[in-house]
Amino acid sequence: MSEFAEDLSVILAQKRYERISEIMGLAVKKEGESVRTYTDMLDRVFLNRYLGIPIFLTFLWVMFQFSFTVSEPFVVLIEKTFEILGSFVEQSIADPYLVSFVSTGIIGGLGSVLVFVPPIFALFLALSILEDSGYMARAAFVMDRFMYRLGLHGRSFIPLMIGFGCNVPAIMAARSMDSEKDRMITILVSPLMSCSARLPVYVLIAGAVFGSAHAGTAIFFIYALGIVLVILVAQLLRKTLFKGEQSPFVLELPTYAMPKAGSALLHMWMRGKMFLKKAGTIIFGAAILVWFLSVHPWEATAGGQLIAESYIAWMGHALEPLFKPFGWDWMTAVALLFGIVAKEVVVGTYGVLLGVDEGTLGESLVANGMFTPLTGFAFMAFVLVYVPCFAVLATIVRETNSFRWPAFVLVFQVALAFLVSGVIIVLGRLMGMS
Amino acid sequence: MSSTKGITESITAALIGNPNVGKTEIFNRLTGLSQRVGNFPGVTVEKKAGKFTHQGRVVDVVDLPGTYSLTAKALDELVARDFIVEEKPDVVVDIVDGTSLERNLYLTFLLMELDANLVVALNRWDMVKARKIDVDLDRLSELLGAPIVTTVATTGEGMAELKSAIIKASQLERKQKAALDYGDEVEAGIKSISSIINEKRDLFGKYPQRWLAIKLIERDERVLDMAKSILSGPQMTRIAEVIGHE
Repeated sequence: MSEFAEDLSVILAQKRYERISEIMGLAVKKEGESVRTYTDMLDRVFLNRYLGIPIFLTFLWVMFQFSFTVSEPFVVLIEKTFEILGSFVEQSIADPYLVSFVSTGIIGGLGSVLVFVPPIFALFLALSILEDSGYMARAAFVMDRFMYRLGLHGRSFIPLMIGFGCNVPAIMAARSMDSEKDRMITILVSPLMSCSARLPVYVLIAGAVFGSAHAGTAIFFIYALGIVLVILVAQLLRKTLFKGEQSPFVLELPTYAMPKAGSALLHMWMRGKMFLKKAGTIIFGAAILVWFLSVHPWEATAGGQLIAESYIAWMGHALEPLFKPFGWDWMTAVALLFGIVAKEVVVGTYGVLLGVDEGTLGESLVANGMFTPLTGFAFMAFVLVYVPCFAVLATIVRETNSFRWPAFVLVFQVALAFLVSGVIIVLGRLMGMS
Repeated sequence: MSSTKGITESITAALIGNPNVGKTEIFNRLTGLSQRVGNFPGVTVEKKAGKFTHQGRVVDVVDLPGTYSLTAKALDELVARDFIVEEKPDVVVDIVDGTSLERNLYLTFLLMELDANLVVALNRWDMVKARKIDVDLDRLSELLGAPIVTTVATTGEGMAELKSAIIKASQLERKQKAALDYGDEVEAGIKSISSIINEKRDLFGKYPQRWLAIKLIERDERVLDMAKSILSGPQMTRIAEVIGHE
């Protein structure tokens, strides 16, 4: 009986295909089938068995270098604007409480995040160009061969690429996956993809400890680290929680097209708008909270002058022992704590705590001896891994319809962050770095 | 099935198609909304809606996820098929990549089975011509039982014609489409399952009977679950005899 039934569903599909070729025969004639298109020629190179992955990595690296080079003049412009704004506020407002609120809370907190608008927009522009040109689908294809060997599904690479922009749409994009197991694995590893919110932290730290010449390379390695972790964790999950075969990967490769300036700029704006919105709401709110905690009790801190006496310092010192082995001080502990809200807040917190202009924030981090190249790089890795932001956790709740999985992700990633940064520190010290 | 709409009522049109056929671009062209265009399958999982006015009629356009088929296995395929069945859009615009017609038509057949009121948009028409693929549009339209409009989403060519075709299709009484003949063996199976479904027809809601039978033969998880919750044990046993035990 069941053999007969097998046949029925097979016959269904067969008949459909038969009818399709019948229709094709009746209504369509192909003449110029052997025309070799640009797409074919480009694919011979980009999809080459040996060149494919190196080419993809090169594109990735060029993308980051491009983002930082193009955006630099705009960054300087924003820095100068906030500098002028800050000194204007200090001169024109008499009340010390208000001055502290406006110059440290608003301008310090928000300004230190806004300087990252140019590199983020530039990165989005580069991503849009790669997408519109049709290359992104090739990247997924190229990586599939590699990922298949590692037990990851090729289709999950596409949501993961979206994760470079923001993990929230990445997790939602996992809906398109055929198998529930593959979908769950993709959701759980997506937060490890380095989203644009973490970029301000990297730019700040990398710029400070590696200088502008090598910052792009350091950041590239952090992104690569994210990809490696995604693969390792996915493999771990497949071998433990989600055992089983992966479903086959089907992906259509669109023809290459010359990206159009208008549409690339539009995509950049659509994505960048989200960052601006976030900067105006969540990040702004967190910056105000950080400012409040850093100047209160108002008397003890002598009107915000002695941050060491503030609530925030107290919190930082309570957390400091956790991070001491990594060479990070209490300010970093606080920055990481508030970074749970959104990763950009890490930068905003430093802005408030150090009470300096955005332009000199990096310099003063180094001048205060807070980071060496080694501890700085380990910190960047920590920020990459340590927690998904609130929005991502909320999305995981929605997409998995449970609180168990987001809780799992939270605990797992914190543990993983300590592990990864610990390994970096230990390896670095073994190589004689400080 | 659906009755002719009055001139003042708005028309609902759903866009569907395989991934990377230019569906999102056509959606943007039709509605004038600037949305993200990309090649990622996840992009259109969210329901995107817009509207246009043409020949004095307001048409609400819904952008369904790009899919190759309409199984219950992937969430976005389910989203698409549920929308077509439950919301009963007046017109379903099947956007087809003219350069890979053969693969794209599979979805077209599935849509026909869903009793969708189809308009086929043959996109990338410029490339079809450049590649010297000769499509007999009248013949194809006749074979598919649906009007065909040729479009070039990147330039906007054919958009006015597509709008007119949508409005025209919405005004026509939906006629029973010539169903694909699956051969005696399968048709016998479809017939006996249909008669079992018919015993509780009302409870199956808006799903076309033939489609339900086909889906049961394909062991579609969703439809099987639905059948299990509606039909009695003996009725399910009779169906199992046709489709085989799991």
